[in-house]
Amino acid sequence: MNSQSHWTQLAPLLRDVERPSRYINHEWGASLKPGADFSFCMVYPDTYEIGQANQAVRILTNAVNAVPGLRAERAFLPAVDMIDQLRERKLPFCSLESCTPLREFDVLGITMPHELAATNILEVLDLAGLALHAKDRSEEDPIVVGGGPCAYNPEPYWPFFDLFSIGEGEELTPELVLRIKELRGEGASRRQILRELSHIPGVYVPSLYKPVDEMTAQVSGSWLEPLEEDVPRRIKKRVFNGFSASSAWEPCVVPYTEVVHDRLNVEILRGCARGCRFCQAGMMYRPIRERSADNIVEGVLEGLRATGYDEVSLTSLSSTDHSQIAEILTRLNSALEGTGIRVSIPSQRLDSFGVEMAELVAGQKKGGLTFAPEAGTQRLRDIINKNVTEENLFSAIDAAFSAGWRRCKLYFMVGLPEETDEDLKGIASLTQRAFDRARSVVPPEQRNKVQMSISCAVFVPKAQTPFQWDGQISPAEVQRKIDLVRRSIKYRGITVNWHDPKTSFVEAVMSRGGREVAPWVERAWRKGARFDAWTEYFNEEAWRNAAEELGLDIEDIAQRSFEPGYVMPWNHISTGVSTRYLVMERYRAEMGQTTPDCTFTACTACGACKSLDSQNDLAQGRVLPKGDTSLFVDDEEADS
Amino acid sequence: MADPRLFRLRVSFVKQGRLTLLSHLELARTLERIVRRAGVPFAVTNGFSPHMRIAFGSALPVGVGGREELFDLFLTNYIAPAKILPLLQGASPLDLMPFACEYVEPQAPAVSVAFPLSTYEAVLEGGLTSLVIPEVVQVKRGKKEKVLMVAEYLRGDVEARSAEDVEETSGTATPQTILRFCLEAKPSGTLRPDKFVEAIMASTISAGGASSELRSMALTRLNQRAL
Ligand code: SF4
Repeated sequence: MNSQSHWTQLAPLLRDVERPSRYINHEWGASLKPGADFSFCMVYPDTYEIGQANQAVRILTNAVNAVPGLRAERAFLPAVDMIDQLRERKLPFCSLESCTPLREFDVLGITMPHELAATNILEVLDLAGLALHAKDRSEEDPIVVGGGPCAYNPEPYWPFFDLFSIGEGEELTPELVLRIKELRGEGASRRQILRELSHIPGVYVPSLYKPVDEMTAQVSGSWLEPLEEDVPRRIKKRVFNGFSASSAWEPCVVPYTEVVHDRLNVEILRGCARGCRFCQAGMMYRPIRERSADNIVEGVLEGLRATGYDEVSLTSLSSTDHSQIAEILTRLNSALEGTGIRVSIPSQRLDSFGVEMAELVAGQKKGGLTFAPEAGTQRLRDIINKNVTEENLFSAIDAAFSAGWRRCKLYFMVGLPEETDEDLKGIASLTQRAFDRARSVVPPEQRNKVQMSISCAVFVPKAQTPFQWDGQISPAEVQRKIDLVRRSIKYRGITVNWHDPKTSFVEAVMSRGGREVAPWVERAWRKGARFDAWTEYFNEEAWRNAAEELGLDIEDIAQRSFEPGYVMPWNHISTGVSTRYLVMERYRAEMGQTTPDCTFTACTACGACKSLDSQNDLAQGRVLPKGDTSLFVDDEEADS
Repeated sequence: MADPRLFRLRVSFVKQGRLTLLSHLELARTLERIVRRAGVPFAVTNGFSPHMRIAFGSALPVGVGGREELFDLFLTNYIAPAKILPLLQGASPLDLMPFACEYVEPQAPAVSVAFPLSTYEAVLEGGLTSLVIPEVVQVKRGKKEKVLMVAEYLRGDVEARSAEDVEETSGTATPQTILRFCLEAKPSGTLRPDKFVEAIMASTISAGGASSELRSMALTRLNQRAL
C-alpha cells in the first residue's frame, strides 16, 4: 500500500478527533527528502503539542537528512482519541512526512525524555505493530534506537530497544543509521548488525550483556557483563565538539496548532557546570560549550526570517551564564525594535544581574517571575550546592518588585538528602520574608497586588548525580512534609502548590531501577497505564497492581539509600563525570561544603574533559557579576 | 482603528486540502507568520505588547474550506499590489495560497463583518431522490442546546445537483450530490454551514430521500458578499 492510500484512510478520521491539525503534516519547514531510499523516523512518545518543539526531534531529523541517501521523518504518539480510532479500525501508526507506517522504516529513533514516558514508549511500539521485545522482532522490522536523558539509566527499558544511543546525537545518529544501511546492504542479520553497532562509541546494545550477582557487581564495577569480548564493558556518552562552531540557526518546522515552546528556539550554549547535586542535566552535558554572539545574533535573525515567529527564546540550561549574554540581548533588542518580536530566556540567574536581564528581555511587560532557591535554609542550600544566599534572593526581589513586577513564584524541593523539619519551616520563613520585602518596595496603594506562590517538587534521585545513592522519601512522608510547610505559612497572600507524590514515586523507581523494573513497566502498560505525565491519565492502580503481581519491591527500589560508591545499575553507562567525583560530591554535601562552577573559576576535576577528550569551549571568559549566585530565575514560559 | 498614515491591504487567499482542518485561531497565527516571512512592512500596535496590525475575515468552522478567504493587513509603506502578492505567495503553504490583493479605504468596515453573505458548496457521497430542508437546526453550545430558525439565515434556495466521482485507477463511479446554498451572518449569530448540512442530511434521510449511507465529503465557502 502506498502512502497516499494510508493518508486516504486516515483523513476521514480527522473530522472527528480533537485538534486534527496535529496530524496533517505540511507545516512550513516540513519536507520530505526525495530520492533517499534508507529511512529513519524520529518518534516522540507523546502528542504533537508536547513533542514538536523538542530539540532532539529538530536536531536529529536535520542531521540524518543531511546525509546523502538517508531520509528522516517525524512521528508523534497520537492523542488517546486518535489512538483508539486507529486500533479500532486496525490502521497503522504513520510518520508525518510521507505517511508511511512506522513499521516500514529501516530505523526508528525514540526519544526517552523523562521517566513518565515509559509506558508511552510501549504504546508507540504496540501501535506501530512491532513486538515489544527487541528479541521478538523480525529481520524486516526496523532497528529501534532509544536516546535522550533516560538513556543514562536505560536498564528499565532494556528489553524494548535494540540499542541505545548515549549522549549527544548530532554525529552519532547519522553515523548509526548509515552503518545500519551498509550492513543491511551486505545482507547482515539483525544479530550481526547489533554486534557491529556495539563497536561504535556511544552505542549500548543491551542484549549483548548478561546480569551478574550483587557481589560480582560490587567487585567488578558493573551489574552487567559483556557476552562477547569485542563488546565494550563501559559505554561513554558522545559529545558534539562541533557545537560552538555549528550554526545557531537550525532549520525547524513551524507548527499550525499551538505547541509547547511555540517560538523560534535558538540554543545558545550547551551544558551547565553550576553543579547542583540533584541535577542530572548538570552532569549530563559537560563540558560546557557556547556559541558566539555573532553566530547567535545572525542565527536568530535568519531563523525569524525563515519561520515568521514573533518570539525567540535563547535556550540552554542557564542562558544568563553565557559569557556574552548582555551583548547578545542588546544587539537583538536593537535589531528587532519595532517588529513586535519578543526575546525570551528560559532561565535567568536570580540576582540584580538576573533582574536586569529580565528587563532586557521582557521589555515593558511584567508578568510573573519564577525564582528557584530549591531549599529553605542556607545549610540545605549548601548541601545541594545551590550556591545562593538569602540576601541574593532578597536583592532580586527588591530589584524585581521595584522594577514593576507584582507576582513571583518560588520553587522548592522537599525530601532532599539531609533535610530536617527546620529546613521545611525555613521554606515558609524564607517565603514570608520575601513577601515582606516585596511589599515594602512597592508603593502602598499597590501592596495588595503583590502575589507570591511556592511550588514544592518532590526530590527524585537521578542516576549519574551525587545524590543517586539517596533514597526517595515515602509518599506518606512527602505528605507530612508538605503539610508542615503549609501549616508554617501564616500569610494568606501566599499559595502553596505541590507535585503529586505518587507520580514522583514512579519517577524514582524508573530513575533508579535496574533490569528488574522492565517487566513492571510492561505490566503496568498492559493494565492500561499510558500518558502518565498527564495528571488526568495517571493510573496509580495499574502501577501498584503490576508490582504486586510481580512481587517487585518497588518501595525498596525508590527509597533505599546506599553508601556512596555502591555500584548502581547504570554504572556501565558514563557521562564522563567520574564516579569518584560523584562520591566526593556526596561527601562534600554531607559536610555542607560547596563546589564552584568550573566555567567561572578553575577545573574542579569532575573528569568529564579528560574522559571525553573534550573541554569547555566558551565564547569568551566568564565573569561573575557582582553579588552573583547560582540561583536561577525562570520566566513564565520556562515552567510551561 | 483607522490610521490615515497606514495602508490597508486586503488579501484574498484559498483555504483548501488538509489545511481546511485548521481552526480559526490556528489560521490566524499562520497568516501572521506568513506576513512576517514575506518581509512586508506591516504596522504594529502601540502599547505594552506590540503586535501586528492584521484583521481576519469571518471564521470558517474546522473542516470547511474557502475559495476566497480574506484578511486585511496594515502597512506602513505603500507597495504595489503586484509586488506584494509574490512576496506573500513565497511565504505561504500551497493550501493557503493568496491569489489577489488590493488596497481598501482605511475607514471601510472590518473585513470580518463586511461580507455577511456566504455561498457554500457541499459535496455529499450518495444520491438523493428528494431533498428535505429542515425548518430548524439544533446546535449545542457547551451544555446549552440552541434552536436556530433556518429561514432567518438561509438566503434563496438550497440547490442540489447530482454528480459522479470516478476513481482514477479502478474507474468505478460513486454517485454524488452537490448542494449549494447561501447563509447570512447576523450580528446576533450565525448558522454554521457544517451544522446546516448535517441537518439537511438528517432530515432528508429520515424522510426517505436518501439512504442512511449519505455522507458529507467536503464543504467549501465559494464566496463572501456584502448585503
Ligand atoms: S573536567 Fe573540569 S573543566 Fe571539565 S567539566 Fe569537569 S570540572 Fe569543568
